[in-house]
Amino acid sequence: MPARPRRVASAVSALTPALARTARGLAVLLVVSVFTFLLTVLAPGDPAEEILRRGGTQPTPGSVARLRAELGLDAPLPVRYLRWLGDVLRGDLGDSYADRAPVAAEIVSRVPATLWLAALASVIAVTLAVVVAVRTVLRPHALDGRIALTLIVAAGAVPPYIVGVLLISVVAVGLGTLPTGGAGSPVAVVLPAFTLGLAGAATLLRLLRADLVSATRQPFVVLARAKGVSTARVVAVHALRAAAPAAIATASVVAAELLAGAVVVETLFSWPGLGQYAVSAIRQRDLPVVQAYVLLTAAGTALLLTLADVCAAWADPRIRGSGT
Amino acid sequence: MVMRHTYGRREVLTRLAAATALTVLTASVAACADGAGTGGSPTARLTLAAPRDLAAGPRDPYFVHQSLGVWEPLVALDERLRPVPALATGWTSAEQGRKWTFRLREDVVFSDGSPLTAQAAVTSIQRLRAIAPRQSAYFSLDEGMEAAYGELTRLDAEENAVVFTLAEPVADLPAKLAGFFSMIQAPSAFTTGGDFAGDPVGTGPYTLASWTKGQRLELRANPRYRGPRPAYATVEVRTIPDANARVAALRAGEVDGLFDKGALLPGQVTAVAADPRYRVVQTPSALTHYLTFNSSRPPFSDPRLREAADLAIDRAGIARTLLAGTAAPGGAFLSPAFGDLAAPGITARHDPARARELVAAAGAPAEPVTILISSAETGQFPYTDIAEVLRAAFEDAGLPARVEVTEATKTAMEAGRYDVFLSAYSVPNGDPDYLFRRFLRSDAAWNVERRLGYRDTTFDGLIDRAAATGDAARRRELYHEAQRLLAADRPMTPLAYQANPVVTRAGVRGLTQTASYLVDLGRLEPAG
Repeated sequence: MPARPRRVASAVSALTPALARTARGLAVLLVVSVFTFLLTVLAPGDPAEEILRRGGTQPTPGSVARLRAELGLDAPLPVRYLRWLGDVLRGDLGDSYADRAPVAAEIVSRVPATLWLAALASVIAVTLAVVVAVRTVLRPHALDGRIALTLIVAAGAVPPYIVGVLLISVVAVGLGTLPTGGAGSPVAVVLPAFTLGLAGAATLLRLLRADLVSATRQPFVVLARAKGVSTARVVAVHALRAAAPAAIATASVVAAELLAGAVVVETLFSWPGLGQYAVSAIRQRDLPVVQAYVLLTAAGTALLLTLADVCAAWADPRIRGSGT
Repeated sequence: MVMRHTYGRREVLTRLAAATALTVLTASVAACADGAGTGGSPTARLTLAAPRDLAAGPRDPYFVHQSLGVWEPLVALDERLRPVPALATGWTSAEQGRKWTFRLREDVVFSDGSPLTAQAAVTSIQRLRAIAPRQSAYFSLDEGMEAAYGELTRLDAEENAVVFTLAEPVADLPAKLAGFFSMIQAPSAFTTGGDFAGDPVGTGPYTLASWTKGQRLELRANPRYRGPRPAYATVEVRTIPDANARVAALRAGEVDGLFDKGALLPGQVTAVAADPRYRVVQTPSALTHYLTFNSSRPPFSDPRLREAADLAIDRAGIARTLLAGTAAPGGAFLSPAFGDLAAPGITARHDPARARELVAAAGAPAEPVTILISSAETGQFPYTDIAEVLRAAFEDAGLPARVEVTEATKTAMEAGRYDVFLSAYSVPNGDPDYLFRRFLRSDAAWNVERRLGYRDTTFDGLIDRAAATGDAARRRELYHEAQRLLAADRPMTPLAYQANPVVTRAGVRGLTQTASYLVDLGRLEPAG
């Protein structure tokens, strides 16, 4: 075969899985969009009345009817879905029912805050999980490792809201060293990131530690030990590398959990991210905002899982070779 | 095999842990420095927190809440929900209440320097009428501004006066217009479409200097304000939706006070009020917890069982314990915040023995009665606990009961799947007609759609006559009579009258609050 067609064939064969994966992702998003739309519009209650009832007043039937018409809530469901999908594809996520402000612009302004919080929480979660997992596998009987392990697992068992309230009470009110919330100070992110990171660390730590223990019993690790490689090196390099693919898969799930957990944590700490926006929208039945949030969260989760696939393939040659 | 420890690796791990601790420590130190900086001179700057965003933005009918003192209405309300002059110095009515004339103050200038004229006031009110119905973060506008003035045929600017001409007589237009519905801002504030062109332009003691949606806003003293200059040149208001975080911010010294509706929850008041570092002000509000009976089906279609349920409830106990003394036991349909319009002498008795007799006479229902509450309200008030207490009280009287918490109360009620509904209601202005007409008149949407099953032509006649009677004493009598009817029929019965506790540090004085949760920021000043 001539060199050029071979190169083209090679490029096509390399692109095919990527295209298939993209097509699969788009199909998933389409299904998600249908479910998102249906779940929000079929929820009981009349959004028009609830919007007009904000502030505790009881609207007249005429006002409710006019607002329903203005918001397009009278149209048949398929028409409403297609209108909504068409707008979404054009980047228009609609206007908030609550304050009539464009949802897309508000989301764009809030994404950096959520990403910054999630990134910092991820760093905290991964750092705590890796350090404590390696420490407890290296020195199973060391007191510091066992205390850290117990504390992190215990913190992971408590809802993030409670952990957050405790951190606010002790660190912000008791010690007065960090702000209770808001985004007015560069360090305001520390407490919400710790709250969120602790929850992620617990999940990650449990799995990583189990994988590490299992990996230390693998034949190649036993061989490495037999060849005189130090325990620390065996655990930190060989076993950790073997445990990495599973940990990466878990990390992607944990990252998705962090985005979900941000809903509670952002509200508690008045952090100006997507989670706070979503909670406020859910309370007010602000459907355009809820729909946009669910859609974005689904898209973000799908992206994270794809990234996890790529990272796992990089870490484990067996996966890379399978071409899946 | 010899197990060896490589101290280099351990050292790396130790350093990693140390670095993390150092990062937190550095952050903490930075926060200390930052916290010290936010306080500033108390005479110049005040920082408050509110549970909701008090700036709703340029597409809201009002942009900012009245409490911020950025704009003023023609008519305000006092602590007894009575209309009092604000930008209007007074008012007169003619043609049996079809024509109302509001005279304007002459010394008023908007924050953009333009004078308050009759035409400017008319433009501002016409704009509200033009954009209705319109949702708001505060008080939504009805189609045709029905809650504000019914059917308006003319709105004219006369010499320093605004004249409303109405299709039907209105007994107390000032009370209907009071507050948000008579907001006046400069014509320059609005676009032709009725949205805000930029910042709000009002006549109050403060102007809106900056605003970050859902986070914070900053007010600056309005140099053109006609009254005394506020003691605080700058007021920052932070939005802290979570109740625990709000109190934590107060205790941490990050904010000087909490205000607005629901600033302090009932469960938080006792501890904060006992702390000498804070001043808690707890004034009656128009907010009332009501029990709505489904009288369109058994068992509460039987008035004896409604009476039994009513007598079974220990309102004083609920107000004292579950609502932590922030509420008073309910009696008359109108809360004491309505002053002399609330019918005197109506008290809801707690008589479990009589309740048991009534149930025995009427026959206990086979199925448990459903006590319905909204999940949206359980965050602000201990409705789950109150509903459980109601359930126990009903069962003690021989009425089996169960509690249902749902988000979709409207759907449940319209389907008739409830027997008692617990919820809180208030008024958007100072007019009690709103409550009677929207909730209980025979054709009221609440009554009809939520299956209250209350039809009483005598009650309807009393409400209609009161709404059209210009004689204040006669009107009061009619409302008292209507409330006596409601106390006997019990389609909706008040459980408790809720106060709205607000708080400042002891270093701040001048905190007052109206029955509509309005705090006059311009009167706050450093103590001593």
